[in-house]
Amino acid sequence: MDLSVRLPRGLTLKNPIIAASGTFGFGPEYARFVQVNRLGGISVKGISPEPWRGNPPPRVWETPSGLLNSIGLQNPGLTTFLEEDAPFLRTLDTVVIANIIGHTVEEYRTVAAGLQNEPAIHAFEVNISCPNIKAGGITFGHDPDAAYHVMRAVRSVTDKPVMVKVSPNMADPWTVAEAVVEGGADMISAINTVIGLAIDLKRRRPALGGTTGGLSGPAIKPIALRVVWEIAQRVSVPVIGMGGIQSAEDVLEFLMAGARAVMVGTITFQFPQRMEEIIDRLPLVLAHYGFRSLEEAVGAAWTSRTADGAEGGE
Amino acid sequence: MAGAFKAPIVAALAVAPRHVELVIEHPELSMAAPGQFAHILTPGMLRRPVSFSRIDPQRGRAGLLVQVVGQGTAWLAERSPGEWLDVLAPLGRGFQAPDPARPWILVGGGVGIPPLYSAWERWGPQHRAPACAILGAREADGILMAGDFQGAGLLPVLATEDGSAGRRGTVVGPLEEWLARYPEAQVMACGPNGMLAQVSRVAAGATGPVQLAMEQRMGCGIGACLACVVPATPVGPEGPRYRRVCTDGPVFFREELAWSWI
Repeated sequence: MDLSVRLPRGLTLKNPIIAASGTFGFGPEYARFVQVNRLGGISVKGISPEPWRGNPPPRVWETPSGLLNSIGLQNPGLTTFLEEDAPFLRTLDTVVIANIIGHTVEEYRTVAAGLQNEPAIHAFEVNISCPNIKAGGITFGHDPDAAYHVMRAVRSVTDKPVMVKVSPNMADPWTVAEAVVEGGADMISAINTVIGLAIDLKRRRPALGGTTGGLSGPAIKPIALRVVWEIAQRVSVPVIGMGGIQSAEDVLEFLMAGARAVMVGTITFQFPQRMEEIIDRLPLVLAHYGFRSLEEAVGAAWTSRTADGAEGGE
Repeated sequence: MAGAFKAPIVAALAVAPRHVELVIEHPELSMAAPGQFAHILTPGMLRRPVSFSRIDPQRGRAGLLVQVVGQGTAWLAERSPGEWLDVLAPLGRGFQAPDPARPWILVGGGVGIPPLYSAWERWGPQHRAPACAILGAREADGILMAGDFQGAGLLPVLATEDGSAGRRGTVVGPLEEWLARYPEAQVMACGPNGMLAQVSRVAAGATGPVQLAMEQRMGCGIGACLACVVPATPVGPEGPRYRRVCTDGPVFFREELAWSWI
């Protein structure tokens, strides 16, 4: 079964499985354990114009079926990325997505402009939804008008495909998705982590150095599916879904909710090879549930279509 | 180099209350070095990093001394010989080999003792200058591997806070005495952050290298997620630089760490 995915501006994934930003470094870290070129793509760690130090430790905490993190987007900045990390990425035979972050509209524009001519980068993921930074970032992600202006700024400096990663931490995430599509976004990625808190009983204080954190893992899969479902039915552009994916069956749920591709993250920490296993199993799972192509599964749940072709009401 | 593999447990020994040592076997473990660790799959959301307590390169065997602190380590402590562990190993920057002609002080606190034993096991036989192992814990039950050190030719100095084994007090007293006698000594230490901060302070005047093996809550274990950081130098106006325990460490030189932020 052909698993390739055609996305806007000529971007083609060899399969719909992309390593999620923040869980896969800048590519070489997992290359000892994962055949990176088998993946549909990788979204690298968020890149800001200048280095960001990130939040104080502890930065991770286990929760039931979830992982709470407060990394704070530590990264070496645009210049170091171009000098030290881009050369490896140029050697890859898979789609490389640059996740870009900033405190201001101008900073997002700076990173996109700085990477526009970098051949290692095939697309952008504009991160306006990380719950672990105070200034910028999520303040754009929760305001459709501000999100629109970030997207316009990025669009003004690049003709590469751009997706915007939206936040689940608001009542109506689709308003931001609609606004960034209006601003020129080619795709939406959803969702970023769900804001949360854990308490360390022994130390009598929040478990994470950053106080609150972003929840990922299977605990958030239903939240993610609902957001993908709402957005994919409202916008005309492709949606890349993510949140707690652990299996090919989980991928199919996201496809049927309306995603055209997915990102996989937290599970990689436990099972570095799980993304490859999902790629191997996905054709079998699609066939098992009666789909003759990947395309056929996208949005299949919208009309309650069953495997024998009968249509439910909507 | 490191690999992802399943290794059989060839021995499991309850070494102290709430402490179990598992020995696993795999050819990749021949490459393991003292101070490095294995990232072990458990039923939780994250693997558990455990330093090597002993390494047998000929047989490809390594020891993992686990202290039960939560559900993941409790699960590990229940494993038996014949079962398999799914590990990423060997990982991280281990200890730099000691200068065999320079006095050598090993300082271990509680579950920080095992990586120091693996260092002594590896480099002790060639060591020509005086050497000393100072092992500390809150109480006698927390002193691990004292018999292993003794069996490998080094009678350790013990210190417990309640006085139930060795001297009453912490490892700092014996360390100060040894550094006074051998100011050129090289130091290797592993233990709780409070102990390492004291070792770092006491050893500040020493002329030899001071290597400290750090612990932190860890995500991927291979350098990708930036979860397991510790405050490091240089410290700028806004604070320290954060470095990864899993790949920049676990072993750091004293000067690399920003102790006032830890």
